[in-house]
Amino acid sequence: MSAVAAPARPSAPATGSPHLSFGHLLRSEWIKFWSVRSSIWTLGVMFVVMIGLVALIAGLTANDLSGTEDSGPVALLPFLPATQLAQLAVVVLGVLTITGEYTTGMIRSSLTAAPRRTPVYWSKMVVLGGSILVISAVAVAISAFISNAFLDPKGFGLDLGDTETVRVLVGNVLYITTIALFAFALGALLKHSAAAMATVLGLLLIIENVLNAIPWEPLHYVAPLLPGSAGSRITQSDAVVQTINDQWDVGPNLSAWQGYGVLVAWVVVIIAIAAFRLKRKDA
Amino acid sequence: MIEAQGLTKRYGEKTAVNGITFTVQPGKVTGFLGPNGAGKSTTMRMIMGLDRPTAGSVTVNGAPYASFRSPLTEVGALLEAKAVHTGRSARNHLRALAATHGIGDKRVDEVIDMTGLTAVAKRRVGGFSLGMGQRLGIAVALLGDPRTLILDEPVNGLDPEGVLWVRNLVKYLASEGRTVFLSSHLMSEMALTADHLIVIGRGHIIADGPVQEIIDQGTKATVRVRSPHADQLATAIAGPDVTVGTPEPGVLQVSGATAEQIGDAAAAAHLTLHELTPLSGSLEEAYMSLTADEVEYRSDAPGHPDGTPPDAAAFGTATAPSTTEEAAR
Repeated sequence: MSAVAAPARPSAPATGSPHLSFGHLLRSEWIKFWSVRSSIWTLGVMFVVMIGLVALIAGLTANDLSGTEDSGPVALLPFLPATQLAQLAVVVLGVLTITGEYTTGMIRSSLTAAPRRTPVYWSKMVVLGGSILVISAVAVAISAFISNAFLDPKGFGLDLGDTETVRVLVGNVLYITTIALFAFALGALLKHSAAAMATVLGLLLIIENVLNAIPWEPLHYVAPLLPGSAGSRITQSDAVVQTINDQWDVGPNLSAWQGYGVLVAWVVVIIAIAAFRLKRKDA
Repeated sequence: MIEAQGLTKRYGEKTAVNGITFTVQPGKVTGFLGPNGAGKSTTMRMIMGLDRPTAGSVTVNGAPYASFRSPLTEVGALLEAKAVHTGRSARNHLRALAATHGIGDKRVDEVIDMTGLTAVAKRRVGGFSLGMGQRLGIAVALLGDPRTLILDEPVNGLDPEGVLWVRNLVKYLASEGRTVFLSSHLMSEMALTADHLIVIGRGHIIADGPVQEIIDQGTKATVRVRSPHADQLATAIAGPDVTVGTPEPGVLQVSGATAEQIGDAAAAAHLTLHELTPLSGSLEEAYMSLTADEVEYRSDAPGHPDGTPPDAAAFGTATAPSTTEEAAR
């Protein structure tokens, strides 16, 4: 063993010069995303629930059209409950995508390979958001086709030339995708699967009802800004958004896009805090 | 080459690593020894940028690890074997980490083959034994064909064949001019594998030198003497620095005198010798005495102007009194 040995490979390694890049990280996260069973299961559940529930509700609505007068385009009505249920699957996926790394210790392998750290979060979010965007878009498209098939003969078919209809359909895709990123952000912040899952579901499903039940006015300013109630406006027709806004005398009246903006703000703030901590603290 | 300068890590009140300075040279295997909680893993985590030093700095090949364009080809590390998503197969785990650097599946299959994981590569890591997990961790470290290897307890849980394989592998990699830095609790293994040792205790460096030097420093060379005139011989070689023990009748265990001195003394006194064997200490003995001194001298160790860790200077004198005391009883 010589004391003056030169480094093994001083420069220009022969094997195609491996190096770290964001594109490579995306590829890595893509492999990670599709090589655990939870991704396939949750996306499958989301897909089936969305299409199945829209088909079921559209079929029943076609038999009985009473009570649909004031809610905007009838063929869009099945999407509201379908998306509300389907979001639970992507919430689980969003949380597990990051907490799965923290609970197993994988995160330290990931950060060793990408020691600047925060790109690990960004690449995960691109892969998670991109995958769900595509799959939920396909699910919404198939659902729209089915809903139209049931309701068009009754004279309530989808009109894709109508901006409100397109906004609601696109809104469902955006909502499901953004809710998954919201769940991811909370998972990154809390690092613990059960804690993150409980927090996301609490914020989406429970807190709003609790706030509304407490007869203290300031809380009614807060309730419309919760991620679920604000974000889901993008999935609702103008008439339904109006009904929700009319429900309260106080508090902000958010339009569909403003509500979605509030949900995006939640994601940005939470992931910013998580990323700041990731950058600063020991892994 | 790994260079640490005044590297310090505090967790709240507790100081895990206390201003250590060392260099790990390329071309040889450097062992990192120390009791549990001495700061070995913390030091390695700081090298890899996982923990942020409270003070001081550490660089690999002249730069902080996180600053490299291609970190995995600079340093391959095994820090904890089970830093793996349990639901993923070994091969997909390796593929995902390789992909971060655009390293292809060919290299992935190479390291799988090298580490003997071929049969289980498609199985989910959750079901792996400790040894298999360890092999996977070594496979990850080798992915980038790195210039520097950092292995924390690499032989932990490996079967004898695996231990031998790791020993030969790290020696081979060092002989290619790479830097190899490994920790282990297995003293005999370390004595066989390492060329150079850094001994750490309670967050600071106790000794830093070639393996044989550490052994010589930390143990007293002894001479085994068998003679029908053992009692007379003991009197003949007695001196202020000489300790004589009697492990069995007719046999003396002498420290503080060389075989030559004892032989000369015996000849001068016309005493017959049946055996005269110099015995060198083991790394384990050296390690025990070094780490024991560390505890003993911790509170009053003054800083040394020449940069030598104070305890390294102190231990040479520390062993002598305690052994003499024992012998005197």
